[in-house]
Amino acid sequence: MKRTERLVNFVSGRKFRKSWYAFIIAFFLIFVILPTVYVLTYTYTQWNAIQSNVLDNKETVDMILGAIAASFEIAAIVTIIDFVVGLPMAWMLVRKKFRGKNLLDTLIDMPLAVPTAALGFSSAIFWAATPSAMNAPPFALGAITSPMLLIILLHIVFSYPYMVRSLAAILEQIDETYEIAGQTLGASKLTAVRTITLPLFRAGLVTGIILCFSRSLSETGGTMIALSTMANSAGFNTGPTLIGTWKKLSGSNPELIPQLAFVSILLIIIALVLLVILKLVVMKVRLPMGKIWPTPEKILSRGLVPKMKDGFTVLFLAFFILIPSFFIFSFVATSSAAVGDWGPFLNSLGYSFAIAAIVTVIDLALGIPLALYISRNPSKKISHSLDILVNVPLIVPTAALGFSLGQFWTDQSLIPSVPTLLIILAHVAFTYPLVVRNVTGAMEEIDPSYEETARTLGAKPIQGFRRVLYPMIKSSILAGSIMAFTRSLGETGATQAVVSDVVTAPVYIVQLVNTNQYYLAGLACIILIIVSYAAMLLLRYLTRRKQGAL
Amino acid sequence: MPDVEMKDITMRWGNVIAAEDVNLKIQDGEYVTILGPSGCGKTTLVRIIAGILKQTKGGVYIDGKNMADVPTEERDIGYVFQNIALFPHLDVMENVSYGPRVRDVKKPEWERISHKYLELVKLLDKMKMFPSELCGGEQQKVSLARALSTGARLLLLDEPLSALDARVRVDLRYELRRLVKSLGLTTLHVTHDQEEAMSVSDRIVLMRSGRIVESDTPETMYMRPKSIFAAYFIGETNLLEGSIKKTDAAATTVELRDGTLIEVATTDFREGDPVVISVRPEYVYPAVAGIHAIVSSVTFVGTHFRIVAVADSDDKVEFDVPATVEREYNKGDDVNLTIDKRSAIVYARTPGELGEATKLE
Repeated sequence: MKRTERLVNFVSGRKFRKSWYAFIIAFFLIFVILPTVYVLTYTYTQWNAIQSNVLDNKETVDMILGAIAASFEIAAIVTIIDFVVGLPMAWMLVRKKFRGKNLLDTLIDMPLAVPTAALGFSSAIFWAATPSAMNAPPFALGAITSPMLLIILLHIVFSYPYMVRSLAAILEQIDETYEIAGQTLGASKLTAVRTITLPLFRAGLVTGIILCFSRSLSETGGTMIALSTMANSAGFNTGPTLIGTWKKLSGSNPELIPQLAFVSILLIIIALVLLVILKLVVMKVRLPMGKIWPTPEKILSRGLVPKMKDGFTVLFLAFFILIPSFFIFSFVATSSAAVGDWGPFLNSLGYSFAIAAIVTVIDLALGIPLALYISRNPSKKISHSLDILVNVPLIVPTAALGFSLGQFWTDQSLIPSVPTLLIILAHVAFTYPLVVRNVTGAMEEIDPSYEETARTLGAKPIQGFRRVLYPMIKSSILAGSIMAFTRSLGETGATQAVVSDVVTAPVYIVQLVNTNQYYLAGLACIILIIVSYAAMLLLRYLTRRKQGAL
Repeated sequence: MPDVEMKDITMRWGNVIAAEDVNLKIQDGEYVTILGPSGCGKTTLVRIIAGILKQTKGGVYIDGKNMADVPTEERDIGYVFQNIALFPHLDVMENVSYGPRVRDVKKPEWERISHKYLELVKLLDKMKMFPSELCGGEQQKVSLARALSTGARLLLLDEPLSALDARVRVDLRYELRRLVKSLGLTTLHVTHDQEEAMSVSDRIVLMRSGRIVESDTPETMYMRPKSIFAAYFIGETNLLEGSIKKTDAAATTVELRDGTLIEVATTDFREGDPVVISVRPEYVYPAVAGIHAIVSSVTFVGTHFRIVAVADSDDKVEFDVPATVEREYNKGDDVNLTIDKRSAIVYARTPGELGEATKLE
């Protein structure tokens, strides 16, 4: 009893808390932020190499610019489509009452449970014209021959849930009275929504756009698999797949390093510029009320149109999201079984799990304190800048992040460059923000007076956290850790970019597809889906119970 | 010119009944207040009239026209919300001009209309400000101007003053009635504040548990309430339990539980009937003889002392004495009280009913 008391007193001491927070911030800056953007220093230190190896070589420049342009085009188109079809879905989920709403609610999240490598394989079999060796089921669509279109369709599948969730979250917070007030003033439903609810919506919209855009920009594994599954992808590359391919070759050919650096730099800079534009500009622009067209909007507000809109929304979910996600099952069921060696896959699966578990533990141990620091810091400036920094690893494409981080640690030789350690550090860099953001979000909802009350009752800060705060933010911590876990489990781009020869489960699936072992790839995907889905169910179960208790 | 009629309105949410068989007619130009404790279904009623909620049964008629298939935006109403609900992203002018603009009124005209109503609530100088820059009272005035600017002749006020400070609430009350009457609007005002209801309305409709209990002018409702609930809810009152001892053309005598006899104006009750006497504190006076009671608390209210005493019959009696009075009252003092015979009202008492009648939720 005495010893724990002394420990509590010690960790509650001013000195300890100061140095603890200093440590957390130092960790965040040195292990997360700095490696993420380290490669930018190459523009200064390695400019000559970049100049001679990349810029002087027109073919390489064209290839890089083509891939990057494709990446951003795809991300932009995907985000726009997600918004257009995600908004009516978010609306249905929040504002409407109907039978089967819970089912719909669960269906939306389904693609989140499927690792993108599996999604890529599954959607490509469904949509794309595939080589005959593959034996795609006869009811597969097999129609898409444009690699760009295929990738857009694929990215919609996994970014759609993010858009719907962020829009629904903010819609839930907008008081419906505003819309009703608009209607009592004579505005039709559509006019009221357009002139009142949508402008109030911006914060959620920005979050949704950032999430979708950065997810699409980052995605590597699924994209690579989809491209190698389709019959003729004709050397089509996105920024991340280019990094993945070159990094693999760079083992034997170190000449490729400047090119890799150049792609990564471009991806990072453009992504950061977009983040700044979205965060600072969009939130400050005041949308004018604009024109109002009472008669056409009135016609669109009533009768058949809204019903058709809802019908289309549900059909879109079924046809463009759910069927492509789970088409893999019908592929495996209709393929003739092939015998394969399961040893390597199980090894890679175990390896992936070990990595994901370690990463999640690190995220939690060092992420929650940072979230507490951000949300309870009296200085708005410090918490605001930390908050912006936390978003950086989220928006930077993970392949670029992985490459940058790999270079950082090998260049500095501060730590032994053991592949596993590098992979863990890379995965921590892009999953850490997930935990921090989830917990910060929950903390901001909680009135500080609870902790203050605990303090007035004599609790030390750490006791206040354990007894008062922790029970309230438990579900967000859980959500953050499961997000981090599944992201780490499904990640391909960063893993490939940091070390080229380590095989995690998604990387192994990419290899299977590349070597035309489709049936085994399919089975491996299904195992990955089942494992991730089990994790997802656990999350839903635990958070739902929490809601019930409230 | 609109009159409003509700016929047999019933509203159910699953097993909960928010309104049951409500029949109410509001004349053109009348200012009617629906008064009742929270949860009695009053907001549900205005929301049904506005078309925000759809009733389970019954019909709403505005100007004799059935509103069943008319959506909110075409009912031609002005609606003021309890939480004010000014559009936070639009400034005062844009808020007030919203109604005319969504009705396709062109620019010089909607500007003129908005100026007119902002002038009316005396906030023309704040038209470029955002709702968050105004104080509560000003916000609600803008919201009123916004509701009026549609040119609606029927105004629905859903607890318009409850979110405001006490002082602002009282000022805005008179402002509201003055404006509405000068524009000749038909108004339905919902509130749980009986003082507010009495000072603004032509007629009060008292509701309880989804039903209309009573409907009358504020004066009648206060002076001669038809039910114990109305007497208890509107203003303050003392309830004395007893039974009829004697009744004739001149007076009725009621015997309290301890045997004390009280004479009141003559009633139709027969000897032996169990009754409750309701008498407001301002009609109870200290005297040399009468109901004997012991003072249990004395509270200084400013203009007077409010004294609570317990009579020998176990009934609680409250009364006021001016702050300037010579005698000093202390807890434990003996007092004798008389009541004003004409102001006391006698109600039939059924066993257990008193608790039920005075339960507010």
